[in-house]
This record gives sequence, structure tokens and C-alpha cells, in this order.
Amino acid sequence: MTLLIQDKYPEKLFREDGKRLDGRDKDDLRNIKMEVGVIKNADGSAYIEWGNNKIFASVYGPREVHPHHLAKPDKGILRVFYRMTTYSVFDRKRPAPGRREKEISMIIADCLEPVLFLELYPGTSFEIFIEVVDADGGTRCASTTVAALALADAGVPMRSLVTSCAVGKIDGQLVTDLSGIEDKAGEADLPVAMTWFNDELSLLQFDGKVNKDEFNEFLEMAEEALGQVYQIQLDALKRKYQQIRDNVQEEGGDPEE
Amino acid sequence: MENNGEVETEDEIEDNSTTREIVAPGEVLTTDLEAYKRGRGTILNKDGTKIMSVLVGLKQIRNNYVNVIPLQGFYTARTGDKVIAIVVDKNPVKYRCDINAKYQAILRPQNAIKHRKKRRRRDKLDTEKFDIGDVLIAKIISADRLNSPELTLVGKYLGRKRDGICLTIDPPKVPRIIGRNGSMIKLLKSETNCNIFVTQNGRIWLKGDRFEYERLAIEAVYKIEREAHTRGLTDRIGEFLKQEKEKRGIN
Amino acid sequence: MMDIKRVISTIEKEYIKNNLEKGNRIDGRDLWEYREFDIKTDTIAAAEGSADVSLGDTRILTGVKYDIGEPYPDTPDDGVCTIMAELLPLASPLFEGGPPDQQSIELARVVDRGIRHADCVQTKKLCIKEEKAVYIIFVDMYVINHGGNMIDCGGISALSSLISSHIPKGKWTEDGPEWTGEYFSGDEIINELPIPVTFGKIEDNLFLDPCLPEQLVSEGRITISVTKDNITSIQKSGTTTFTTEQVRMLSNKAFEIADDLREKLDLWQYKSKQE
Repeated sequence: MTLLIQDKYPEKLFREDGKRLDGRDKDDLRNIKMEVGVIKNADGSAYIEWGNNKIFASVYGPREVHPHHLAKPDKGILRVFYRMTTYSVFDRKRPAPGRREKEISMIIADCLEPVLFLELYPGTSFEIFIEVVDADGGTRCASTTVAALALADAGVPMRSLVTSCAVGKIDGQLVTDLSGIEDKAGEADLPVAMTWFNDELSLLQFDGKVNKDEFNEFLEMAEEALGQVYQIQLDALKRKYQQIRDNVQEEGGDPEE
Repeated sequence: MENNGEVETEDEIEDNSTTREIVAPGEVLTTDLEAYKRGRGTILNKDGTKIMSVLVGLKQIRNNYVNVIPLQGFYTARTGDKVIAIVVDKNPVKYRCDINAKYQAILRPQNAIKHRKKRRRRDKLDTEKFDIGDVLIAKIISADRLNSPELTLVGKYLGRKRDGICLTIDPPKVPRIIGRNGSMIKLLKSETNCNIFVTQNGRIWLKGDRFEYERLAIEAVYKIEREAHTRGLTDRIGEFLKQEKEKRGIN
Repeated sequence: MMDIKRVISTIEKEYIKNNLEKGNRIDGRDLWEYREFDIKTDTIAAAEGSADVSLGDTRILTGVKYDIGEPYPDTPDDGVCTIMAELLPLASPLFEGGPPDQQSIELARVVDRGIRHADCVQTKKLCIKEEKAVYIIFVDMYVINHGGNMIDCGGISALSSLISSHIPKGKWTEDGPEWTGEYFSGDEIINELPIPVTFGKIEDNLFLDPCLPEQLVSEGRITISVTKDNITSIQKSGTTTFTTEQVRMLSNKAFEIADDLREKLDLWQYKSKQE
């Protein structure tokens, strides 16, 4: 049956003062917070808050593959399981994984594989579990970003981190990092991910309608945004160690020389 | 307490060639390829113009090589390593052991008999000797990238442990538990009166005569693991052990 | 503390058991002492209520959603509250993906029975129109890290998420249910706090709140859910057996421990501020 409050689309996605509904300028990202080492049992883990998105990722591996027949004799395999909790969306999601979750899992795995040295770990698997506990647009980008962070936290050798972000078009204007409502009511959405060892794009999906010029501008905006997210990612990864060092130094330990 | 067959490791974090700079995978370590060569934990970019890190670690420059000392990672089995293994499965011809690595290791009964030279016909080659769950100190006799490593119990200090407790820490931090020339482990042993054995796969076996001492030793081990990337660690742990002993009234 | 493996080493078992006999626990706790609870509520924007509860290393994220549906024919004016649990493979190498297994079903069932038989969910209030429209409240628990004793952590997490909920109030009109502009919260949803208290048993040693190594070594445990005055559910799980004397002792202890916990955690403070 229906819910008492409806999830309505707003008529306009810009306010009177030209800002977006959540008060951002066109090329502003939402607030992003990341942290590594949040799940003690995992080999590596990370947590991200990207606007209202809240996502956990954990990494296990390299370990023996179950079921065994999936193992490849010449290289390791990377498996990604992207899932959402039932309460992460407005209408309660069914508990079993849907087609959307399976597709995004595959997209993220394909996006991350180029940075790994899977050929060094034949017969094994790396597993990344991603759990979206609160969703508000752009979960595939946030998930890719947090998954790369969890891999690095596990000490898995990587060519570089991977960072992802979306750009889109709402009410005829090009904007960075669509929120949930902008994603639903907007005209176009372009999630991309960058692998930093070669500065190439490793995730690219596009839905909507834009002309040639707009598309070129999209790519410029994406590069700018990705750079900002990358810095937050690096900071989170190092902060885990820096914080302990700071504490030790406060107690008079860890001398400079 | 005498050295009971611990591995020799190099405690690189305390070394002056290791910088304090924490690096992440993909970060450029240097673009000066005339002065530096790429060492452990690094790769060259596609054009061969930059040396980049592949790990989260500390940057080290030693003999013109740029290295990255990992701060986190997993154990890869190597021939000759001593490991603490837990028997997890067995069939009539072999034991399967967990060694905290990506593959389980195999122990064959002929490698589980102590004095091979004196072996008699009546030495039975079956897998009755150990049970599932037994903790063994073993040596790796063969390991490669593709196959399960093989273990032996023939050698000094090797064999089953019948009591004590076994901890697992992050394998790259093992050199810190041992310390420079074994200084850290000597300190732990003498201050806690515990018998401690550390192996390269990140496992630590320890046993003391009192629960309070064992707990203190365990806490110290985890403190070392947590603060592994900071310098002056041995002094701090010494201080920690003295303070805690006083606080807990165990002397 | 130790490796999370399906096979527990024999020396570990002996170590835990021998020390327990002398009254020493592996993490230094007293036999009847809980690990620290850490509770945060209203952490999920998309949910009507939510709680992020840690008990030592165990961490469970619970969210509350609602739906309007037809009541069961035998209880035409009662709302429904269902509890689900999922042990995410993210949380432990011991958990596998796929459909719910026995462990997650047990977690959900034990928490559910504790709450259901306390009659604390205000089912009559959660009815919009007899035989036509009642609330179906979904309490979904997701285990983020498994550090032992998921049931007590889950129980507290379910209660705090329900207390923190703000569920739109409905009225019946000719076109069906409609929002009144107000919300249900706190004691309008539940009016009592049934607390599950889990004891572990290793040989003849009994203790409160098994941590993961203790849980892996123990042959069984017993969960006793209690309100202020009543026992509302008991679950013995595992292959161990208890004497009647032990059960009597533990149920008395459960009341004591739950009273302390109720006072210490003061769950009513998490009532939703949204009116």
C-alpha cells in the first residue's frame, strides 16, 4: 500500500538566489568525510559520508577462492559485492539483492581491477564488500571511492588509488556531484572514475541528453571535482597513522631525530 | 633469557634511511631517475619518468634506491621462514595448516617426525600424531606463487606447543616486535617473565607463569602493533611496562 | 585477540577455559560485567528511525521503516512489527553472503521474541482503520562487525532505533489513509524495555556477555530477555546443557543486570525530537 508521505520531485532545482536546493554552487561538492580501519575483523576497511550517503567497505584477501571452481590458475580474481540496506532508501528496499546492485558490483569491480596486480596472486581472490546504509544519489561513485580506500588500507599493492565522482545537468545547467533529488529530477548524469597512475578514466556511464560542447565541459568539471575528492581520500588514508604519531608525540615520544 | 631461535629481522622504521613521510599507492616518490633507482614497494610510471609507491608506507632512501616500507599488509610464504601453524584439516596422508597466508600449508607425516636419521620401520607414517586445532611451530621447506607451501617440523625449536596463547598481528610489523638486534623482544620477555616466540607470518606465541603478566605482555604486543610506525618505540614500551606493573601491583 | 577461523586452536581453548576457572577472562573483565555500550541514534537520514550500537567490538546498525498494509484477519486492529537481521559478509570472515542462514535467523528471532512477548510495541496505536489499514513496522538489523554476543547488541539496537523513530501519523479518509501532519515517537511506539541478557557457558563456568573468542570456544549460551518484572523469552543455544539451579541463578541475575543496564543506558533519552 502507499506511504503517508510521498517522495515528491520539486519543480525547480535551483533556488531564487541561484544556488542549488541544498545551498551549493554549481561546481560545489557535498561534504565528504572518509575514515579507514573502521571494521576490525576485515583485512582492510573504510567508511565514507558523502552528503547523506553513508557507506562501509571492507576487503578480505588474498584468500583461497570459495567456491573453488571460480579460481583462475594464472591470476587472482577480484569480486565486488555492492549491497544496500533495506532502510537506505525512501521506500523500503527488498532484502534480496536486485539487478541494479549486481550491475553496480560489476561496474565497480571492472573499474578497480586495472590498479591491482592480480597476476601476482594466482588461484586467490580479493573480495570487497560494500554496504550502502544510507543513500542519497551518487552511491556508485562514493562506493568506488571507498572501496579503493579499503583496498589500500588492507595493504594490497596498487598502482594508485581510484577516485570517482559524478557530474550532471539539472534545469539546463551543468553541475558537479548530483544529490539524490537532482539525480532523479535532473536531465543528465555522468559518473566517472579516475585511476591516478595514468590519469585515465576507468568508470564511465552516461544517462541523459547533452550536446558536444556540454559534454566537453562535463569532462573538465569532472577532472576538477575528482582532484578534490582524491585529496580527501589521501588524507583519510594517512590520517590513521598520523593520528597515532601525533598522540605519541604529545606524550613526548617519537623524536624528530 | 636466551634467544630461542627467533628469526633475524631488520627493524627499518628506527633506521635513519627511513623518512617520516607517509605515502599512498600512486603517489610520486621522485622524478629524478638519474639519482635514484626504484626499490621495494614501488613501480615506474608508463613513460618511465616517475617512481611511484604501490603501498601505504614510509618512504625510504637507501643506497640510491627509493623504497616503501609497508605499514599494513599480508604474509607471503617464503622457503626457510619459521611460522606458527594451526592444523585445520587432515587426511590419512597429510595435514592442512593455516599459516595466515593466502594458501593453507601442507605438512606430510614424514616431515613431522623429529629424528629422521634414526627413523625406524616402526615409525608409522600416518596422521595420528596431531589433532585439528593443534598449534605447531614449523619451517617452510617449499613455497612458490602457485602451490600450497610445505612445512617441516624437523629442526631446532620446531614442534607442537601444548599450552600458552597464540596472537596474530599484521605481518609487516613483526620486525618491530623483535626490535633492533632483538632488543624489543628481550625487553618484553624480561619485563613480563613470559616466554615469547615470534614468527614471520605475524603470529606470536606466549606463555607466562601468571595471568596478569600474560595480559600485560599481550597488551604490550598490541601497543607495538598500533604504534609500529613511530620511532623510539623500545624506550616507550619499557616505560609502559614499568608503569603498568606498578599500577597493577604486579612485581 | 585471536584469529577468526573456523578452527579454534586447542591451546586457545585451554587458555580461555583454565583462566575462566580461576575467574579470569581473556579481556580482563569481571564475570558479570558487560563490555562498553556505545549508542548513537538517528544516524540514517532515509530511515524513520535508526541506531548505531556497539558492544565492545560488535557493531550493529539498525533502521526502522514502515508501510501501511492490511492487518492479519485474527488481529484486525493490531499493527505489526517485524524484525530482520542480516550478518553481512563485510563484518566477519565467518559470514557468507546469500540468503539468511540459521545464525541470522536466530538473531532476528530471539530479539523479536524478547520484544513481542513483552507486549511493549503499541500495536493498537499503530492501527489506522480496523480491518483496513495498519502499520507494518520493519526493524532491520545489519551486523557491521562481529565481536561476539550479537543478540544483546541487537536487542539494544532494536529498542533504541524504535525509540528514536518518528513515524507519520495517519487518519482514515474515503480515499484511504492520509497523513495528519504529526508523528509517532518514543513511548507511542514502545512503552517498555525488554532487555536480552546473554550468558556464555564453557564447561561449568558461567559468565555474562561472551566476547568473540569466548563465544567461539563455548559450547553454548543462554539468552534471557527481561522487562522490569517479567521474563519475556529465553533461548538456550548451542549443544550445552544447564541445570535447573543454574537457570534459576541466571534468571535472577538477568533481572539485576538488566535493571542496571536500563538505568545506565537511559534509552528514553533517544526519543525523536521531531514532532
